[in-house]
Amino acid sequence: MTTFLEKLLINYPYVISVILFFIGTLIILTQSNLFKKLLGINVMETATFLMFIAAGNIRGGAVPILSDTNAPYINPLPSALMLTGIVVSISVTAFALALILRLYREYGTVDANEIARLRNGGMEK
Amino acid sequence: MMTSWTTHLPVFVVILPLFVGFILPTLARRLRLVENLVIAVEVISFVMAAALAVLLFKQNGSPIPYAMGGWPAPWGIRIIADNLGVLFLLVIAIVGLPIALYTKGNLREEVGGRSRTARFYALYLLLMGALAGMAVTNDLFNVFVLVEVATLSACGLVSAHRNPRAAEAAFNYLILATLGSGLVMGSIGFLYITTGHLNMEFAARELAQVWQHSPHVVWMAASFMLTGFGVKAAMFPLHVWLPDAHSMAPTPGSAVLSGLAVKGYLICLLKILYNVFGQTLMRHFTMHHVLTAAGIAAILAGSILALRQDELKRRLAYSTVAQVGYIILGFGFVNQRGLAGSLFYLASHALIKSTLFLTAGAIISATGKTKVSELAGVGRKMPLTMGAFTVASLGLVGIPLFSGFVGKWHLLLGSFESGNFAAAAVILAGSVFCAAYLFPILRNAYFQETPGENWQDPGMAQRAAFVLLSAAIIFFGILPTPLLTLAQRAAADLLFLQ
Repeated sequence: MTTFLEKLLINYPYVISVILFFIGTLIILTQSNLFKKLLGINVMETATFLMFIAAGNIRGGAVPILSDTNAPYINPLPSALMLTGIVVSISVTAFALALILRLYREYGTVDANEIARLRNGGMEK
Repeated sequence: MMTSWTTHLPVFVVILPLFVGFILPTLARRLRLVENLVIAVEVISFVMAAALAVLLFKQNGSPIPYAMGGWPAPWGIRIIADNLGVLFLLVIAIVGLPIALYTKGNLREEVGGRSRTARFYALYLLLMGALAGMAVTNDLFNVFVLVEVATLSACGLVSAHRNPRAAEAAFNYLILATLGSGLVMGSIGFLYITTGHLNMEFAARELAQVWQHSPHVVWMAASFMLTGFGVKAAMFPLHVWLPDAHSMAPTPGSAVLSGLAVKGYLICLLKILYNVFGQTLMRHFTMHHVLTAAGIAAILAGSILALRQDELKRRLAYSTVAQVGYIILGFGFVNQRGLAGSLFYLASHALIKSTLFLTAGAIISATGKTKVSELAGVGRKMPLTMGAFTVASLGLVGIPLFSGFVGKWHLLLGSFESGNFAAAAVILAGSVFCAAYLFPILRNAYFQETPGENWQDPGMAQRAAFVLLSAAIIFFGILPTPLLTLAQRAAADLLFLQ
C-alpha cells in the first residue's frame, strides 16, 4: 500500500491534473450559470495541458537546445502540442463568450434554467 | 507511374476548402461570387476524391501515403489516403455538392444578410476541410485539432440561424462537445505517455508491446476515447445535445451536421479503436460489447423518441440518434461483414439524412408549417421535393433497390457471423420503427385533401440538389459494388486481414 501512495506522491502532477479535470467536469455538469460552465471548460482544459506538460518534463532537465553537454533535456513536443491546445481553448472561450452575449441580449440573463423558463413561457403565449 | 499532381492529392483535398473558406468573408459584398466559389470547391473536391478512388482501385486497395513536408514518418506527419479515408472523402464530396447547390440564393430567410451568409459559407468550408482531414489523418494529435475545427465550425453553423433558440442550442452543443474533446485530448495524452508516439501505426506497434505494463492507463485511455467521441457522435445516452442543435440549425446546416459531421467523429473513433488499440485490446477490454450495447440502445430509444416528435426537423434529428446506433452496432461486431455493412450504412445514411433535412427545410420554408400533422397534401403541390423525401424515406427504412438496404443487409450478415441474434432482431425492429415514424408523413402528404394554398417546389439549384441526392441513393442501391468493395477493403484493413 505504501508503494501505491509513494507512486501517487512521485507522480503528483498527474494526480493534480486528474483532480482538476474532474473538478472542471463537475462544474460543467452541475452549474446552470453559463459563465461558470465556461470556466469549468477552461479548468478541464488546463488539466489536460498540465498532464501533457508533466509528461514531457524531466526533473532537473535542461532546455532542449542542442549543446555539447550531455545533460538530460526535457521533451519539447508536448509543450509544442499544448501551444496548439491553448489556441484551441482560447477560440472555444471566445466563441462561447459571443454566444453568451447574444443570449444575454435576447433573454436578459445568463442562467441556463432561467433562459429555458423564459423560452417556454414565450412559447405558451 | 504517378504524375506529380496526383502525388499531392491527399493533402490538397484537405487544404483547398480550408484556404478558400478563409477568404470568403472578405468577399461578402459579392455574394454571387461566394456562392459560385463554394460550388466550385465542392466540384473540385469531388473530382479529387474520385481521382483518389480511381488510383486506389488501380493499386488494388494499397493505401496512398503522403509525408507532409517530405519528413519521414515517426518525425514528420504522414497522412494516408487508405480505403477508409477515400470512402469517407467520396461521401463528403457526394453529399457536400448538393448541399452547396441547395444553399445557392436560399440563405437569406434563415441566416440573414450578406456578411452573415458569407460567414456561414466560411464555416461550411472549414467543416468540409476538417472532415476531409479526418478522412486522411494518421496522427493522434491531428485528430484532436481536426475534431476541434469541426466542432467549432459546426457550432457556428448552428448559431448562424437568426432564431435566438439556435444560440442556446449552439451553446449547449459547444459545452458538451468541448467536454468530449477534453476527454479525447486526455486519452491522447495517456496514449502518448504510454507509447511515446503520435503516429497511429507507431503508437499501435508500441502499444501492443507495452500495454501490459500499465493496463489501467491504457484502459482509461480507451474509455476516455469512447466517451469523448461518444458525446460528439451522439451515441445514445450522450445524445442530449443533438435534437436541439440539429433541428435549430439552418436547413443546410442541419443537413451537413446530421449527414456528415457526426460521421466524421465516427470515422475518427473507428480509426483509433481499430488502428491504435487493435481488435485484441478491444476484446480484452470488452469494448466491442459496449459498442454493441450502445448501438442497440440507440436504435430502440432513438426510434421511440422520434415517433413521439410532431415537429418535422426534430423527428429527423432523433432519427439520426437511431441511425448512429446502426453504425456503432457494426463497429462492435468486429468482423469484416459487420464493419463493411457499417461503413456502407454510414455512407448511405449521409446521403439519406441530408436529403431528408434539405427537403424538410424546403417544405418548411414553402409552407411555413413545421409540424408533421399540418403537412397534409404537400405531395401534390411540391412533387419533386416530396419525391426526393419519399426516395430518402424508403432508403432509410431499407427497402431493396435503395442504398439503405445494402448496408442493413451486410449489418445483418455481420450480426449472424458474430452470433449476436439480439442485434439482428434489433436491426429489423429498427426498420419497422423507421417506417412507423416516416410513412405517416408520406401518407399525409399524398393521400390527404390538398389545401388551396400556393405551395411550390423551390428554385432550379435546389431541385438539382434533390435530383442529385435521390439519384445517388438509388444508384448505390442498384449498383452498390464500387462503394461496397471500398467498404469491404477498408474493413479488411481495419481488421488486418490480408
